[in-house]
Amino acid sequence: MARTAKGTSRAKEGPARSSVCPLGEAEAHGILQVLDRDGNVSGTLPDPGLDEATLVRLYEMLVLVRAIDERGFKLQRSGRVEFWIPHRGLEAVHVAATLAFADSDWIFLGYRHPGCMLLRGVPLLQMFAQFFGREGDPLKGRRLPTLMGDRRVNVVPMTTQVGSYIPHAAGAAWAARLRGDDTRFLVFFGDGSTSRGEFHSALNFSGVHRPPIVFLCENNGWAVSTPTSTQTATRTFAEKGDAYAIRNRRVDGNDPLAVYSVVKEAYDLCASEGPSLVEAVTYRMGLHTTSDDPDLYRDRSDVAEWEQWDPLPRTRKYLEARGFWDEAREAALWERVRAEIAEAVTAAEALPFPAPETMFDDTFETPTWLLEEQKRRLLDELEPRA
Amino acid sequence: MSPQTLTMLEALRAGMAHMLETDDSVVLMGEDVGRSGGIFRTSTGLAQRFGGNRVIDTPLDEKGIVAHAIGMALYGLRPIVEMQFSGFIHDAFEHIMFCAARYRWASGGQYSCPLVIRSPSFGGIKGGFWHSQSAEAYFFHHGGIKVLSPSTPEDAYRMMIAAVQDPDPVLLLEPVPLYRSMSAEFDTDGVPAEFGEARIVRPGADATLLAYGPIVHECERVADTLAASGGAEVEVIDLRSLMPYDVETILASVRKTGRVVIAHEAPVTMGFGAELAAVLQEKAFGYLRAPIDRVGAPDVPYHFSIGDEMYRPTASNIRAGITRVTEFAF
Repeated sequence: MARTAKGTSRAKEGPARSSVCPLGEAEAHGILQVLDRDGNVSGTLPDPGLDEATLVRLYEMLVLVRAIDERGFKLQRSGRVEFWIPHRGLEAVHVAATLAFADSDWIFLGYRHPGCMLLRGVPLLQMFAQFFGREGDPLKGRRLPTLMGDRRVNVVPMTTQVGSYIPHAAGAAWAARLRGDDTRFLVFFGDGSTSRGEFHSALNFSGVHRPPIVFLCENNGWAVSTPTSTQTATRTFAEKGDAYAIRNRRVDGNDPLAVYSVVKEAYDLCASEGPSLVEAVTYRMGLHTTSDDPDLYRDRSDVAEWEQWDPLPRTRKYLEARGFWDEAREAALWERVRAEIAEAVTAAEALPFPAPETMFDDTFETPTWLLEEQKRRLLDELEPRA
Repeated sequence: MSPQTLTMLEALRAGMAHMLETDDSVVLMGEDVGRSGGIFRTSTGLAQRFGGNRVIDTPLDEKGIVAHAIGMALYGLRPIVEMQFSGFIHDAFEHIMFCAARYRWASGGQYSCPLVIRSPSFGGIKGGFWHSQSAEAYFFHHGGIKVLSPSTPEDAYRMMIAAVQDPDPVLLLEPVPLYRSMSAEFDTDGVPAEFGEARIVRPGADATLLAYGPIVHECERVADTLAASGGAEVEVIDLRSLMPYDVETILASVRKTGRVVIAHEAPVTMGFGAELAAVLQEKAFGYLRAPIDRVGAPDVPYHFSIGDEMYRPTASNIRAGITRVTEFAF
């Protein structure tokens, strides 16, 4: 096989491996689980007992964010969106963890989290306005597609360098504790982020000051092309919490019921214990970004193995077994979300780009004379063109 | 409030105490700032007075201190962060410039990051290059952060208050060599300084000498000595606020004198003096009667044993700068 000849398949070096996906032997890997591969309740955790309406909402959201990813990727490949950060396979972590928090709580996002935004009630049109960099995006078109946030729904947009925002989230949580507020905090970050000093800084400070925060590490196997084995020598990411006296759990990230249970437990412990670290074991099915080519560093057979643990069919089968879902509802849902997305795409693409001089806004609350002068010069030079 | 005589340290402490007392969202945090009052004792007594939830000893981690303060600011607190020495600020650089100075802009104005970074700065304390940095130039280059540097206790007090009240991040370059050597009498009345306002330290018609921080006093002495000996009358301006800077006061002086020397402790190459020289040639080109002269450090690290004498601007090289511009003729 050509790829092996190039020596790019690191995972195949060394002793024979049984599986790239540990979810089939979750207990042996210390991974908490509710659902098996076919959506049966059979894991180490009990069914969290969510009601029908919540379960249906959760599943509909998984489908919607999956459909957004499919559409976003195509929009990038056809040149209509500049850049896309796929999230296929990671939907369950994003949606179920967000579901465990109240809408008044704060979330610090990573860069592939439409599920969190949508669950907080952000309209599809606003999402696509952000993807297209148009007016209607509360971030004023200043950030790459999928680098989202919205203060109105308590979602803080990340600072783009991986993991740097982890201590920002911990600091905000610390501030809430100092003020005596009941606000709780959730921060998402990838496995690669744990290599940065900020991860350790946040866990160290939080170990001492015990702010009400859940650190959610999405271990999706890869930091661009760097596998877990190159990222860390520890067996898990969760165990890093031990070094800082922070309670930690390892959970099946493709099992929304398990993610919900574990994050909800951590959420409930915020008041008494403060911080928790949750490692969600999952897999990034697609590309890191649309500038990435995963065929350079991983086998497609690995992806195929993880496909069998796709969170969508697992959740659907669970719902079907409980009598909350059927084939007709499935077909109708996909039809509906695709139509809603198509409508949002059309409407968002018709929105204007922000005016050039708005780039000067928000550098400071009140612009300095230097900024005023630069803005005036830009407008003077633009005028002949108008 | 009756006037008090305060050292620079006491003035900074009084400014912090005023803000801690009048605004319960203000916290002071950093390495050793609590129980011990900081290694310079700037915050002596504040932890005892305001408690450990307002004056907070942190782990030894400059990047972490600023990064956590950013989160606090996003949530609505107004943290004052001590960097202990400006030589240690580099570890926190990314969080100051790429995060604190960006949150408002990158969030479309949704979030602000009102935090004060106290950076004990400048040389003259036999501290070698770890403890004697003039790091200000790094912080001008990408916007989003204001930079202040007091040269008197009253300015220190008022700038501290202004910095904490400001809705954006502010870097306060505290002049370490003046901490205990300088005292003055003023009203601790809680009135903040104005951003972007320079002070004419002494008037003069023959040349303009621009400075900030501890070097202002050396410049004033040089100008006084020169005038007393019948030499040039040099107008000395203390910039005080470096970003934004007071272009109007500088321009008015340069239009009058036509000759400019800029003195700072930082290396001259791409330092703040380069910006001032550029803006003066842009806005006062026709008034200049000599090339603008810069007096500052060479592009080498601050030397432990010969640094204080040879690296910082001294009376003799400030005088040499004045001679170069006043004796220049086309």
